[in-house]
Amino acid sequence: MGDVTALPRVGVTGGGADPFATGGFQVDLDRAQTVRCAEVVRRRFDGRFAIDAFGADPQLQDLLAPIVHGVVRVSVTGAEHIPTDGPGLFVSNRGLGVLEPAALSVAVRNESCRRLRVIGATDLPILGDLARKFGSFAAYPGDLAALLRAGHLAALPLASTWLRSGGGVPPTELLVAVLGYPVIPVAIRPGGPFGLPIMPWRVTFGTPIVVGELRERDPLSAAELAEAVRAAVQNLA
Amino acid sequence: MRVLITGMGGELGTRVAQLLEARSDVTEIVGVDFVPPRRRLRRSEFHRIDPLDREKLTGFVTEFAPEAVAHFGIYEPGSRLSPNAASRYTRACAIAALGGAARAGRLQRIALRSGLQVYGRGRGRPGVPDEDAPVAPTTPFGRSLLAVETLAVDLGRRYDLPVAALRMATIAGSHMPSPLGRVLRLPAVPVPALADPAFQLLHQDDAARAMVASLLLDVDGPINVVGPGAASVWQAVRLGGRIPVPVAGPLWSAAAHAVELAGAPAPKHVIELLTRGSAGDGSKAGDVLGLGDLRSTLDVCTELYEWATVTALRPDVPNVEAVRG
Repeated sequence: MGDVTALPRVGVTGGGADPFATGGFQVDLDRAQTVRCAEVVRRRFDGRFAIDAFGADPQLQDLLAPIVHGVVRVSVTGAEHIPTDGPGLFVSNRGLGVLEPAALSVAVRNESCRRLRVIGATDLPILGDLARKFGSFAAYPGDLAALLRAGHLAALPLASTWLRSGGGVPPTELLVAVLGYPVIPVAIRPGGPFGLPIMPWRVTFGTPIVVGELRERDPLSAAELAEAVRAAVQNLA
Repeated sequence: MRVLITGMGGELGTRVAQLLEARSDVTEIVGVDFVPPRRRLRRSEFHRIDPLDREKLTGFVTEFAPEAVAHFGIYEPGSRLSPNAASRYTRACAIAALGGAARAGRLQRIALRSGLQVYGRGRGRPGVPDEDAPVAPTTPFGRSLLAVETLAVDLGRRYDLPVAALRMATIAGSHMPSPLGRVLRLPAVPVPALADPAFQLLHQDDAARAMVASLLLDVDGPINVVGPGAASVWQAVRLGGRIPVPVAGPLWSAAAHAVELAGAPAPKHVIELLTRGSAGDGSKAGDVLGLGDLRSTLDVCTELYEWATVTALRPDVPNVEAVRG
């Protein structure tokens, strides 16, 4: 376990080729912005907009955000644990796994004005491409590592625990890629009676956990991190 | 340092020679290719040798006995050679030049041009692979690159040499012969109907700088070199004011033939880029090679369309400036 305040943004401060650079199109790929629908449409026609190497389109995300915020309401506890700058991985519980990532994205955006990238894009045509445009990406350790190296926030839902409580099984093979980065356990619970998602979702952020060193690929450390984060999510839920 | 540049006749080989000429610690620069250099070189020596003439190339390289090899003898299909010829030239040049240089006995390092194509694209593969990702090329050009990498690494292991394999994104620029550039400059460009994949480009000058940095810094192992950011296929087409023509499934084969008839051959790795994208994690290049100011993919993409318009000179108008006006 360690301190999360002084973690380097490897790949960004290191002067590397930032896969998230915007080519001077005035788009912040980390911070949420306000956009006008007409401008977004115009830029789609003349091609003058920024995407990142995963295919995410931040302007489309900003355009859709008010609608999602209207549908998915959240009440947040422990917002001080959300990194204000630099990389971080949120590991959360999930039931069916459809609305929880949306609730987490809304909570992070409300509290820190930062964008959240959710692991779990499918390889299916159209659906996979749409998911990537709105910030999702496929569950590959290399992709997750690249995202964190560039200083962004990502979310990793644990295995589904529908009709059960607590945290699901953590994907150890993915956690190998996040050694040395802050991992923030998150509990997401529906606010309505009998777990119905009719009231604001209750999102609780726990204390960040750091295991291992940056760029370390040690399966044992990853297994330790998996157990630690699963226990932390279970305690919060 | 005595440097051998294979593929010196290409845009990249010539640019690397120019950059090395500016350095006092590089005492001799000798290049080989089957076409002459594209720019004026001051103290580099060029020898026109066809890579398919393996005996002559091996003999020349062995006699020169280089201390470092910048291997640009990688011929992209559809760039200046047909896919089959490109593969044959790439293989012949690697075997003759690298083998000859290693056997000469003075070789200390190898830096070679490779590409993101070695990772392959499609299901089960990461979208933004780093250097640790498994290599499983899905196109003939990718397999060709991987074969050269494997050969160089084997040589490095046998002779105890550092081998830097620069896995570059598709190299482009306004004056770079590139099949992707030619396709994107067509008035109407085929794009995937059901997807909009992201791809990354690398500017030709940045590719040359990366090669020089890897030679001088004694880098060992693969390094991804990509232009920061990305562009999507639909976006790139619209950025150039071209008309996107949606294509799906088996129609891509017909589209490839159509663009070839229009003057822009589209080999398989270009079709793969258009349908599945192409990206890589280039953070290691910044840390190891110190390349923090690479041109972004969108800038390279924009430059592709800044190709000077061809102006027809009329015999009755003697003043060229007047024609431009």
